[in-house]
Amino acid sequence: MGLRRVLIANRGEIALRVVRAAKSLGLETVLAASAADRDSLAAREADRVVVLGPAPARASYLNADLVVHAAKATGCDALHPGYGFLSERAALARLCEEQGVAFVGPTSQSIEAVGDKLAARRLARAAGVAMTPGSAKLESAEAALAFAREIGFPVVTKASAGGGGRGMVVARDARALVEGFERAAQEAREAFGDGTLYLERYVERARHVEVQVVGLGDGRVLHFGERDCSMQRRYQKMIEEAPAAALPAATRARLHKAAVDLLASIKYRNAGTVEFLYDVECDKFYFMEVNARIQVEHPVSEMISGADLITLQLEVAGGVAPALAQRDISAHGHAVEARILAEDPARGFLPSPGRVTRWRPPHGEGVRVDSAMFEGALVPPYYDSMIAKLIVHAPDRPRAVARLREALAAFEVEGVATNLPLLREVTAHPDFLDNRLDTRWLENVFLPHYGQPRE
Amino acid sequence: MSEIKPRDVEALLEIFETSDWREMKLKLDGLELFVSKTPGARPAAFVEAAPPAPVAAAPAAKPGGGTTPDHWVSVRAPNLGTFYRAPKPGAPPFVKVGQHVEPTTEVCLIEVMKLFTTVFAGVAGTVRQVLVEDTELVEFDQPLVLIEPDA
Repeated sequence: MGLRRVLIANRGEIALRVVRAAKSLGLETVLAASAADRDSLAAREADRVVVLGPAPARASYLNADLVVHAAKATGCDALHPGYGFLSERAALARLCEEQGVAFVGPTSQSIEAVGDKLAARRLARAAGVAMTPGSAKLESAEAALAFAREIGFPVVTKASAGGGGRGMVVARDARALVEGFERAAQEAREAFGDGTLYLERYVERARHVEVQVVGLGDGRVLHFGERDCSMQRRYQKMIEEAPAAALPAATRARLHKAAVDLLASIKYRNAGTVEFLYDVECDKFYFMEVNARIQVEHPVSEMISGADLITLQLEVAGGVAPALAQRDISAHGHAVEARILAEDPARGFLPSPGRVTRWRPPHGEGVRVDSAMFEGALVPPYYDSMIAKLIVHAPDRPRAVARLREALAAFEVEGVATNLPLLREVTAHPDFLDNRLDTRWLENVFLPHYGQPRE
Repeated sequence: MSEIKPRDVEALLEIFETSDWREMKLKLDGLELFVSKTPGARPAAFVEAAPPAPVAAAPAAKPGGGTTPDHWVSVRAPNLGTFYRAPKPGAPPFVKVGQHVEPTTEVCLIEVMKLFTTVFAGVAGTVRQVLVEDTELVEFDQPLVLIEPDA
């Protein structure tokens, strides 16, 4: 192991997960936290805690200078950014490179190459990866309309600078496109400071599938199979599975190859995910984007492959090529993750921060809970509302789903409202049991009837 | 500090909750706030909050063995960074123990990646203690200098 001491610049379950993974490799850990997180579980388990700034993320977790200063001043030779916050900012990776701190992630160049979606599409095209028909940067609604007539409706506008549904407007005809274009550009400007839009053909019934990879930085890219994350609300994932059971074997193999080829072409280093849309009816997949970080849902890939992706990340960052070849990685069984959020589905998914007065996560064979919560902990109002990830593993999908339902039924949380009641109903729905899902299912099929009395 | 919103009070309460402070007293514009983790505790006289930040948190609790008089005010770090007592190496320090300061007197610098932030006394009084060594790493909200306010 080339590293000695790692700074973890994040919070919640991922900070705890990285602290434990680093310790398992014999590394010393320094947690860089905000004032609101100085007594968190990760803070208790880390060898040292430094408080960056006050609770708001802008003044703490989102300040790259503060984070790198903390790493240097505490003698860290590596920095793990977790997910969210600064994890995909090329500026942070570059600052680490300049200061001689190993960034546990891709090079700043790679982050830039895949961070801009139009640039990423050019890479994908060069690597021969299939894409939905899409435009280059569009200057006006008129240009968008001309392009839409060429490729055919429906189309969707997308922001070049980022995702998460911002700047996305689905248009089924010319009028809707002209009306939606300015609104989408405005949304993109507000969210990313850049209103640049492009246009793609819209796939009506699509699944979200993605491939987990770890690049070694020398052109070799290992993959750890794919995930299906079609269960989404407003483009936010709620349930993720591995493998994507709806894929035919031949399609699966092509999907893996596409992801590997794309990232091998830039000698990608460390963990990343290549996201695709899968058109169920045509059995075709299209490149969407690359996420240049470890993702929330990485545990389902760990459960089916037996790999520990966080320790792998640290090893790669330390310059140690893992003693692992693609032929050593194989998928076993089926894994499902449900995100437990401190949000109240009965009140429009209103975030519900507060004191957790009862915390009894489920346990048992094939059940894993990644969380930094405990009885008496405070869910602060400043950050993301996810308080736990419940992950189950079983020999096949039906048994994994059964295990998930048992675990959800046993999960007890009091003091803050959660989405557990919603998850219990979603996982009992025939469409979920039979795996008849697409990315709009939750919003279009399930939620309109949620909370209404059964007939 | 023109308008205090419920959200600000909430944020203050969160900070208090997650801190190891026993009490918090605050006076801002028309607002007076006293919270305590001791049941039945009542506020003593309010300390005047000095206008130019940093937060002049009321009783400077931590250092030493509780020998610090209650009315002394600690100047705290606005964020994590490296503490500098002097404007440049070899120069005399901004302030010395026993020196009188005004609210706008510079007391130290906090450096983050070569960017220096000046920290002001925030209160008129006499410097009683400098709690941090030169070039040491300080964290957000760490007490740096103790000042005995003018009577």
